[in-house]
Amino acid sequence: MSRGLIFSVGLFAAITGFAQQGHPLTGTWSGDWGASPTQRNQVTLVLNWDGKQVSGIMNPGPDSVQLSSVYLDPSTWTVRIEADAKDASGKPAHISAEGRLEDIASYHRKLSGTWKQGTTNGDFKLTRD
Amino acid sequence: MFKFVALSLGLAASVPVAAQDAFSATYDNTRQVTLKGPITRIEWANPHAYVFLNVAGADKIVENWAVQIGNPLDLERDGWKRSTVKIGDVVTVDGYPARGDALQAFAKSVTLARTGAKVFTAAPKRTAAAAAAPAPAPRWPDGQVRLGPPPGKKGYWGTPTASALVERTSGPVISMNGEGLLKNISDADRVAPMQPWAKAIYEYRQRRLLQDDPFTRCLPPGGPRQFQTPHGFQFVEQRELGRILVLLGGGDRNWRIIYTDGRPAGQGDDAVLTYYGTSVGKWEKDTLVVDVAGFNERFWFTNGGLPHTEALHLTERFSRPDLNTLKYEVTVDDPRTYTRPWTGGWNIQWVPDQDIPEYFCEDNAETTFVR
Repeated sequence: MSRGLIFSVGLFAAITGFAQQGHPLTGTWSGDWGASPTQRNQVTLVLNWDGKQVSGIMNPGPDSVQLSSVYLDPSTWTVRIEADAKDASGKPAHISAEGRLEDIASYHRKLSGTWKQGTTNGDFKLTRD
Repeated sequence: MFKFVALSLGLAASVPVAAQDAFSATYDNTRQVTLKGPITRIEWANPHAYVFLNVAGADKIVENWAVQIGNPLDLERDGWKRSTVKIGDVVTVDGYPARGDALQAFAKSVTLARTGAKVFTAAPKRTAAAAAAPAPAPRWPDGQVRLGPPPGKKGYWGTPTASALVERTSGPVISMNGEGLLKNISDADRVAPMQPWAKAIYEYRQRRLLQDDPFTRCLPPGGPRQFQTPHGFQFVEQRELGRILVLLGGGDRNWRIIYTDGRPAGQGDDAVLTYYGTSVGKWEKDTLVVDVAGFNERFWFTNGGLPHTEALHLTERFSRPDLNTLKYEVTVDDPRTYTRPWTGGWNIQWVPDQDIPEYFCEDNAETTFVR
């Protein structure tokens, strides 16, 4: 058993020890999306499972956007998110994102995939806070 | 001084019961390992004690193995002391190797080379304590059933008859080990009426051999799981204060309060969500009926990893048909996780004339091993 293994075990315990163990989408997710590695836009999602559907908002605050639909396919852990936002000029810009959950046992589980906002295609990476 | 690892596919899939141990996730009980060498270190720590051996491999390179021998409380009860073996003693260990490449094993037996004495034998399951002679359930002067010991006596509630909570149905018994790990993952549908996401999470946890279980990190066993821990529990009925304390022998020495003072059940919207929720009980003849709500989502409420949400609402029924038997029944109502309310339960045996064990789960005690 190596020093590294012991450290890893301890770190794993620390990471998973206080994980939220309920619905895997419930909680606050932070990260970014963008069309390229250098053009990124900060994103915060607050999601909640009510027993029938996942609802949520994007970027809570005065300019928050209500998510119109959030769908989880538990057979593949894929997630689809739809919302109607506005671009920088104030024009409507539909958001359609599709990603996959990873590290489900971790409190800081990941959600990443493709993100389309208006006519811009990109990717997104979110981590549960 | 040798190492021998043997595949034994026909080996009984018994799981040594070690307190708060992710046994199935850590060790492979389909293989066996025999280790011989001098002891280099003894870690007498909670939740698991270890001895470390220098073992020469086939290539003559000496490897230092960590051998888990159980938790100190159970070891002491079985007669093992910290001084049973000493650094430098040559021992032979038969056990289960860890999964993966770690130089770690779970001992089934430890034999001292200089005497040939087998100084440690892991029981597949701790033998249930001898029951008291059959007798009616003890009662208070007003006729109310006592959940604790008879007046002037000691005792606590010990061994449960089930290792995990499953829905009570007329179907065949679902086969699982002492940790709640299903023998056949296809039985998941029969465990409880789960929503699709909940079934996927449950199967995910099962496929990972329960390695993500918060209980093994010493987090509290809320919900029905508090009555599944290896070291039992105790009721302290404080009738004059209108409450019953539930003291746990395992876990983190937690306790839970069941209020019986007539207060309304349920949780206010601003209540702090906890591992044990808020419990309000009332007696219906000889059955204590307890309404519990206000759980957080940071634990697994039963062995085996059934999920829940903050909407979890339990109705527990405790009855004591005789001195030695506690009947526990619980109805699970969590509409965010399950398609309908469902009920399960088990019996628990009285351990007479003994104090509840003082087991302590100390998270990360083992991770102080720097090797």
